[in-house]
Amino acid sequence: MVVTVTQEDFDINRLIEERKASDMGAMVSFIGIVRDDGIERIELEAHQEVAVEELEVIRDEAFAKFPIKSVDIIHRIGDLKVGDNIVLILVGAGHRREAFEGCEYIIERLKERVPIWKKEYTPDGERWVQGEHH
Amino acid sequence: MKIRVQSFARFREIFGSEQIREMVEEEATLGALLLEIAAESPAARSALFDEDGILRKYIILMRNKKRVNRDEIAAIILNDGDEIALYPPVAGG
Repeated sequence: MVVTVTQEDFDINRLIEERKASDMGAMVSFIGIVRDDGIERIELEAHQEVAVEELEVIRDEAFAKFPIKSVDIIHRIGDLKVGDNIVLILVGAGHRREAFEGCEYIIERLKERVPIWKKEYTPDGERWVQGEHH
Repeated sequence: MKIRVQSFARFREIFGSEQIREMVEEEATLGALLLEIAAESPAARSALFDEDGILRKYIILMRNKKRVNRDEIAAIILNDGDEIALYPPVAGG
């Protein structure tokens, strides 16, 4: 299982194939994508070391709260354009309910706590994206 | 004693990504460090403190990679080699 903050894009299909196991009846993925809010590109920045540690804590919390079997979290940083992948959360479980719940838990905690920031570049200039929790 | 201060995102643009600060006072607190940084420019002051001199509520402070409770900054005594990180509100995902 992978928890990483990286410049590299990810291959969701390959990861799903790698993660499938005979006791897994459900996999839920969340993919965050760069939306066109009148922007030319975005730049993502992280406090890398702390971000990975915090994601690992969130993963461990998800394992403790839900009967899930696998968690992968890949968050990208660097320069991204509209349509590019930002984040992937892939949760495997015996059944769909815990897979959905685990996946939602992880993305919500990520948005609250993980030190990652976005700057949008628009034709009129640049702006830091306001977090949802400030 | 030397304190390493790292700043991210909007704060990086104001304070620079990293500074090594020399604190002369023996038992300098985290609060004192923030006041020193704020004293360097009006932009720095207004990024950290509101008009009443209260630390802005959205700021996240890390000491040696652990989150600091904002109510304790005046009581936290810094040690030589401490790493302080200043975060604006996070916006990942």
